[in-house]
Amino acid sequence: MTLVDEDRFAVLGLEDGEVAAAARERGIALTVAELREIAERLGRDPSVVELYAFDAQWSEHCSYKSSRALLRRLPTTGPDVLLGPAEDAGILRLGTWQGQTWGIVVAHESHNHPSQIVPFEGAATGIGGIVRDVLCMGATVIAVADPLRFGRITGEESDGQHARLVASRVVEGIGAYGNAIGVPNIAGDIAFHAGFAENCLVNVVALGLVRADQVIHSAAPPGSVGWDILLVGKATDRSGFGGAAFSSLVLETEDEASRRGAVQVPDPFLKNVIMRASYRVFEELRREGITAGFKDLGAGGILGCTAEIVSSGGYGAEIDLDAVRLAQPDLPPAVVAVGETQERLTWVLPPEMTPRVLAIYNEEFGLPEIAHQAGASIIGRVTAEPTYVLRAAGREVARLPLALLCGDVRRERRATPAPTSASTPDAPRDADLARLPDILAHRDVCSRRSVIERYDGVVRGTTVLPAGYGDAGVIRPLPDAPFGVALSVDGNPRYGVIDPRRAARLAVCEAARNVAAVGARPVGLTDCLNFGNPERPDHYGELVAAIEGLAEAAEGLALPFVSGNVSLYNEARDGRPVPASAIVAAIGVVDDVTRVVGRQCRSVGSSLYLIGERQSALGGSIYADVTGCAASALPDEAIATVAAEIAFVHRRIAAGDVTAAHDISDGGLLTAAAEMTFAFCAPGTIGVRLELGAWSSGVGTAGALFGETGGFVVELAPDREAAFLAEAERCHVAVVRIGETTAEPELRVGDRAFTVESLFAAWDAPLNEALAA
Amino acid sequence: MKARVGILTFPGSNSEEETFRACLAAGIDAQILHWSTSLETVRRYDAYILPGGFAYEDRVRAGAIAAHDRLMEAVVDAADRGRLILGICNGAQILLEAGLVPGLATPRRVEASFAPNRQRSFLCRRVYVRLANEPSRCAITAALPPDAVLPMWAAHGEGRLAAPPTVLERLLDGRHVVFRYAHADGSFTEAPNGSALDAAALTNVAGTILAIMPHAEREEASVLASPGVSPLFAAFAAALASPGGAS
Repeated sequence: MTLVDEDRFAVLGLEDGEVAAAARERGIALTVAELREIAERLGRDPSVVELYAFDAQWSEHCSYKSSRALLRRLPTTGPDVLLGPAEDAGILRLGTWQGQTWGIVVAHESHNHPSQIVPFEGAATGIGGIVRDVLCMGATVIAVADPLRFGRITGEESDGQHARLVASRVVEGIGAYGNAIGVPNIAGDIAFHAGFAENCLVNVVALGLVRADQVIHSAAPPGSVGWDILLVGKATDRSGFGGAAFSSLVLETEDEASRRGAVQVPDPFLKNVIMRASYRVFEELRREGITAGFKDLGAGGILGCTAEIVSSGGYGAEIDLDAVRLAQPDLPPAVVAVGETQERLTWVLPPEMTPRVLAIYNEEFGLPEIAHQAGASIIGRVTAEPTYVLRAAGREVARLPLALLCGDVRRERRATPAPTSASTPDAPRDADLARLPDILAHRDVCSRRSVIERYDGVVRGTTVLPAGYGDAGVIRPLPDAPFGVALSVDGNPRYGVIDPRRAARLAVCEAARNVAAVGARPVGLTDCLNFGNPERPDHYGELVAAIEGLAEAAEGLALPFVSGNVSLYNEARDGRPVPASAIVAAIGVVDDVTRVVGRQCRSVGSSLYLIGERQSALGGSIYADVTGCAASALPDEAIATVAAEIAFVHRRIAAGDVTAAHDISDGGLLTAAAEMTFAFCAPGTIGVRLELGAWSSGVGTAGALFGETGGFVVELAPDREAAFLAEAERCHVAVVRIGETTAEPELRVGDRAFTVESLFAAWDAPLNEALAA
Repeated sequence: MKARVGILTFPGSNSEEETFRACLAAGIDAQILHWSTSLETVRRYDAYILPGGFAYEDRVRAGAIAAHDRLMEAVVDAADRGRLILGICNGAQILLEAGLVPGLATPRRVEASFAPNRQRSFLCRRVYVRLANEPSRCAITAALPPDAVLPMWAAHGEGRLAAPPTVLERLLDGRHVVFRYAHADGSFTEAPNGSALDAAALTNVAGTILAIMPHAEREEASVLASPGVSPLFAAFAAALASPGGAS
């Protein structure tokens, strides 16, 4: 059978202008050069379905065509890596329990463009997609976390009602989806910057639990020729057509209404049932000892997913679109083939297993009764030839060599050097302590309680340290085993504007520090790189610089990246990119969760120690923003020292020396000390007294108290101070006693005192008020 | 013979596993019952727990559809025979929507509901609850000390008790409020979700059913909690073992 002729997209023999106009009319993001390459390599004009298939598969979102070569710079191997970045998610070693090795599945995604247009649905489908990425590794989904970046919504500076609407609807969407599927949201961060007013960033990290010998891969397994290809989930509809290409375009306001169709419609209720049904399928496959292929439908829809799963196994596929469950009749083949209807997955199964799997989804879990036309059905089979054949209404609508469709697409991009931080500190030396309440009320410091409380952080009953109570969220994924997993996400846009490379380095350091601060050993990283338009050398230069920064820090800390995501074209109408945002999540392992510590000081009269020398740099700091002082030098951290401090802190916590810990970041040491007096939802009853000394006089009190050079403040258990000091000396880690906890609920520094209650009020109110407005 | 407890799930339930583990820790013989289980099998249990989640997507109102699920017949019949029933969060909402709690009217009808929180958003917060009446007012709490203050997690969008004033009066007169929100020191406090009577949990006339909004089953792992068995589940275990508890 040959490809029918009538619905071709004409490229060959036409002028560039004609091709470009036809592509624009169809909403195709491929360039004329790319369209010519496709037609030439096919030896004919592509069919309309094929055109949309390439538009998705060759999009920046799917192909990483601008970033793939750069990403090779990142370290991806190490003793704790069970699976590096190759599939939908990577896997880190958790530990051994009852003779079995367990892994933590780690995935990181962005849903930036959809969330700017329809924030609730955009953010919700972000959770939905990442959860499928984890699920399809054969894992139980155990936690999610959302790094969010919005325009300014608090205080006098505001980017307007729309920024506020985006922020509050994104938060609602995350809660509505995550709460319903029953996966705890255990971490996340939020930063506000004018540079996100037109392009919010909605990133999402998800973790899963899988036994190392039970991982399912997103590939047709060896010997699977003739196996069934199943489509599971929601009935295919019109939603999400052109999503992959959409995310690779710069948002233009006039286009927003017409792009709404590209956003998918989430159904967390159906997903809850699909997840549980899939867990049952995992059990059946394990019992039978069958290796199957399982993959999430994301960008590129049915065609993208089924093409990739067979292509990864070196096979081909024949797919019959008439077998797809449709929500509405008469959908064009291109919409059915590449539309991105949510809540769908693909199985590659040996035919003898198929009836049982169909019965689990369709009868035991009754998907067709849960949602209109939802369910599992056979839509095709695996073929030996690496060719992808798609039929609709008895006609062949696509016939593509997979080497071309799923092959390595790359685009050479030009980069100009990114901005760099001033090298010499240029900030004032003496701190204005009276500004502490303003710093605590700053949009990037103030309490995230009103957001955290909208997410279910404790469903599944495995949360050891919920979001807000410590520097990282901690869960105990195997309820009977003593070990836990810690997760923190970080990235500072104020640093990103000044120096993308240093910002990326510092993001890695801070994420690793945060998991160490709860007592976890950092074992790996995942990143989401949110940058501007790769076709512009200045924007692309920021991406190049940031990846260099990530690599330097990750190598220095010996932490591998096991997964990641790149989101480009985050560019405002005036051509400015979003602040360079390499957002990093660190995953840590705790051997004994009973040793985990939170942020709040636990007892009166205990010693507080500083780990991490202070610097005078105030560039990008909250203090500089609040006081309006000129400062452009970022903290300069020696990675080897950072690595030693991180190792020292998590070991001392595991040994029981430390009763509370907090990393030093936004707002500096004094902010960290203030936060250690808070009980997260209420002011605490224990105060802190800091004594200034050599540690502060050398660099000046502004840098010492408000500088954001990374470090830790720890509260020691009363009888463990000697052991702590001996270990510090043995490990060559500089520790300084900076004060103690007090019975008076106040923060005292030198001769200045603030009540904990007043500081808490300043810290707790701003975001609550902004989101309620 | 030891009482067997069925943890009854619906499409959209999401807290069945931690509920099962809390039972296990308290020595309760429990089993998770999938919604595809036959009614006949579901009927074989001596007592039931309705776990948290979003049964049937909370369409119409939280718990409204699940209250009319075919498997609820087993729960209603068990309730009529005085068997113990514990509904947590979405389970509590279902019990109110089924008219089992407070169960003042004959025939059964919806008299009160857990309505959207005052703040109109989901609220996940560590809370404390304290008994509002003598422990034995509800059989499931009979083994708790009268002054017990229990830490739990509120995690709901619809946990605000709402009912006509006449019903609220009868809830007070009949001592139907089992738990009220409290501070850690045990002093009563305003409900964080605006719940009428500051109620966190209600019982029926006979005191055999407990509909509680905060989650007592999510405590086991948290570093914020004291280690050990959830006091509420321990009390439930004691009630199941007591004469008449499961008969």
